[in-house]
Amino acid sequence: MTEAMLFYPMALVAIGGALGMIASRNPVHGAMYLVLSFFGIASVYVLLAAELIAVLQIIVYAGAIMVLFVFVIMLLNLNEDDLERPRLTPGTIFGGAAALAFWMISFMVFSDLPDQTMPTELPEGFGQVASVGRLIFGPFIVPFESTSILLLVAMVGAIVVAKPRI
Amino acid sequence: MEWLSAMNPAEGLQDALRWIVLFPLFGAAVNGLLGKRLGRANVHLVACGAVFASFVISAIALYTVSFGDVSRITDQWWRWFSIGNVPVEMSLTIDRLSAVMMCVVTGVGFLIHIFSTEYMSHDEGYWRYFAYLNLFVAAMSLLVLGSNLLVMFVGWEGVGLASYLLIGFWYTDDAKAFAGRKAFVVNRVGDFGFLLGIFTLVGLFGTIEFEQLKALSASITPDTVLEAGIFSGWTLGAAITMACLFLFLGATGKSAQLPLYVWLPDAMAGPTPVSALIHAATMVTAGVYMVARLSFLYAWSPTAMATVAVVGALTAIFAALMAYAQNDIKKVLAYSTVSQLGFMFIGVGVGAWWAAIYHLVTHAFFKACLFLGSGSVMHAMRDETDIRLFGGLRKEMWHTWATFGISTIAITGVLPLSGFFSKDAILHGAHANPNLFFPWVPTFTYAIGLVAAFSTSFYMWRMFNLTFHGERRGMLEHRAHEGGNAMVGPLWVLAGLAVGSLVWGLPLSGGARFENFLKPVFRAADENIARMTALGAQKLGVPVPPPPAHDFAAMLPGYLIALVVALIGFGIAWYLYLGPGKDIPAKIAQGAPALYRAFANKFYVDEFYQAVIVAPLSATARFLWRVVDAFAIDKLVVNGSAVLTGWIAQLFRYFQDGNVQRYAVVMAVSAVVILWIFLG
Amino acid sequence: MGSVPLAHYLALGSALFAVGFAALLVRRNALVVFMGVELMLNAANMTFLAFSRAHQTMSGQAAAFFVIAVAAAEAAVGLAIMIALVRNRNTLNVDEVDTLKY
Repeated sequence: MTEAMLFYPMALVAIGGALGMIASRNPVHGAMYLVLSFFGIASVYVLLAAELIAVLQIIVYAGAIMVLFVFVIMLLNLNEDDLERPRLTPGTIFGGAAALAFWMISFMVFSDLPDQTMPTELPEGFGQVASVGRLIFGPFIVPFESTSILLLVAMVGAIVVAKPRI
Repeated sequence: MEWLSAMNPAEGLQDALRWIVLFPLFGAAVNGLLGKRLGRANVHLVACGAVFASFVISAIALYTVSFGDVSRITDQWWRWFSIGNVPVEMSLTIDRLSAVMMCVVTGVGFLIHIFSTEYMSHDEGYWRYFAYLNLFVAAMSLLVLGSNLLVMFVGWEGVGLASYLLIGFWYTDDAKAFAGRKAFVVNRVGDFGFLLGIFTLVGLFGTIEFEQLKALSASITPDTVLEAGIFSGWTLGAAITMACLFLFLGATGKSAQLPLYVWLPDAMAGPTPVSALIHAATMVTAGVYMVARLSFLYAWSPTAMATVAVVGALTAIFAALMAYAQNDIKKVLAYSTVSQLGFMFIGVGVGAWWAAIYHLVTHAFFKACLFLGSGSVMHAMRDETDIRLFGGLRKEMWHTWATFGISTIAITGVLPLSGFFSKDAILHGAHANPNLFFPWVPTFTYAIGLVAAFSTSFYMWRMFNLTFHGERRGMLEHRAHEGGNAMVGPLWVLAGLAVGSLVWGLPLSGGARFENFLKPVFRAADENIARMTALGAQKLGVPVPPPPAHDFAAMLPGYLIALVVALIGFGIAWYLYLGPGKDIPAKIAQGAPALYRAFANKFYVDEFYQAVIVAPLSATARFLWRVVDAFAIDKLVVNGSAVLTGWIAQLFRYFQDGNVQRYAVVMAVSAVVILWIFLG
Repeated sequence: MGSVPLAHYLALGSALFAVGFAALLVRRNALVVFMGVELMLNAANMTFLAFSRAHQTMSGQAAAFFVIAVAAAEAAVGLAIMIALVRNRNTLNVDEVDTLKY
């Protein structure tokens, strides 16, 4: 019962933030809305017994990536003229209709899945740091190491691409 | 002489036969590749030496098969390939017939090589000339020595190639190059027939080896109906007739008979020694040799033999008529060659095998001498060939006059020279050998042969008189002089051979020496003729005719008639051109201008072929080139596919417009489609 | 027993994905487009975790972990590209950045 009481509001927050992001003219506003959406998503993660991931979502996504976004927006120093004017073009309508259609179809597909109830009896330490750690240093060691190399490459790449003179 | 036979050269010769072919072949390679750098003397040495070496081996072989205890020497060179269970060997055989041919080819060839050293001494491409000449001797040797039809065909094609190269030797002149092309193309038509003949024989007998065919031919029953293969439903005799006719088509091409003789007069565009060797003495006789080789097969087909004899007779008279009005010294000799080849084919067509071969040999001698003599005249008169400009050359070129005269006496069949005996042996065979199925053939060929013999006498003496006697009519300021030893020597040798070869043809009471010499070779053919005659007599319900009489008394009347005919020709020619009737030829020409033009233009046969055969083929080729190749294939397919690719690419370009969002849409749509397909 | 069916969690994920995709298609500002991409990644994470709880396995959470790490790297590089884009073209409008065409 508590789960449902927490889930639906938080889901609304998440979707509302997303819609706000897509609707706002100012990208800084859009970034803020997205941060709101991330908070909602993180709450849903907690409900899914993925506590570490939820915390990481806040720290990395909302705290690092979105901050990076805002830094860049500030850096680019957009004027009022650079912001778009809202238009209701056929492309917009098409995009909206496509998204809505996609969502409805997928909802129908999901409802057909068997075993819809989510278990409440979960294994010991499900979603804790230790469990995740055991996985990423065990069976998933190769993706882990690859990801670290990826992060190094991304770091170097970002510096090289963004520098004014190499 | 016992020590000679004790040496048993047959075994040593077995491996030496291939050298008859290889020596000139290597000579051709050396001269062709290195000739330019070797210098004149070396080129001559290589070329003449190679042919002389072949001649020596051929002479030894001739001696061995004549007086030794073997009648045939075979050199199994190597197995070329096998089709199914028919093996094709590259092997060479020499028996009396091919030994005689080989000695003629290499001997006369050697003399002509010597003659060419002086005749071609002013030419820049002399090394090329000698290379081609050696190539010719090699190919001709292969043709003569081949043990089976396929090796013979290789040689057949090879001499065609050499002929093409040599006729068009001065290829920078378009007319000469076209003459070479004409020779090759017309020969090709004949070769088509030759190939069909080979295929038929393989289909009927399963082998192409001469010896095996000869053995099989003894037991042929011409009335059996064939069950399988392309001739099913025909009788064996009819199929053999077809094979013989196909092969004869090849012979008409190579030996310049009707209807494929048109290349030979044009072939005079080549150097004169080439005309002497290839188009008089050796290559053109390949057809006669082939029919003689397969005599045992032709014996079973009276139809084919009649065809051969009639075609030969018609060619003989037709060509002789064309020679009447020719004014080019080489063209007269060319038509004379066609006519004499017709005689040879009469010989094989009526079953007088030895007579045809004998005439082949004597003809080689005197025709080569005549051609070389004309070459000598041309060399002296700055390559002029129009006999109307000649005259009185006897005073300035005695050797040429003498040898030319001897050879003319020989060719016209006047006693006591060899041509008389060989030509009359053929004519005797023509009227003496019966053909049960075509009883008119003997009389027909004999009559035509007599008229052709008269014509030969007339036009040869006409040419001789106009060239060497009387007064000079043209090029009056030019003084003609004789050639050097290299040119005069071969002339005398050939003239001597033309005289000396008479001894083999003397009609003695046991048969002429040449006839008896070649009897073992043609024994199978004679036996088959006897069998076929008996079979025919049985079918037609007539009695078996007696064998033709061989004694001297029976043959005498025929020989005398021929002699009289030749002398009449001589007399008329003298009268019209040297005697009181000098203005009669001109009056005849003016009196019947259309007829004269017909004679002079060779009865428009070339024009007829041009219109009926060459022009449509040329138009077809042009159509194929312009429409099918240049337009349809090049423009439509090749360029068209490129243009089409361009159009399609143009369409696809709209997908690449730099719009990232469109890319994203495309990706999403594609992902959905793929998922749809894979998840059902 | 949980009172929220699995379908609803998945619906939330697909809704977020749809909104993110719409942002990708509709907006002209490159930064907003990129934010849509981040939203889509989050939607994927949501789905991973929903199934992870439904099947009581931890692999989904490990996957989500890696997705977050990769998203971070991608964001860094993408934003660097956008900086370079503004420096060279002086615009963030995706419609004007179309020189890579035919």
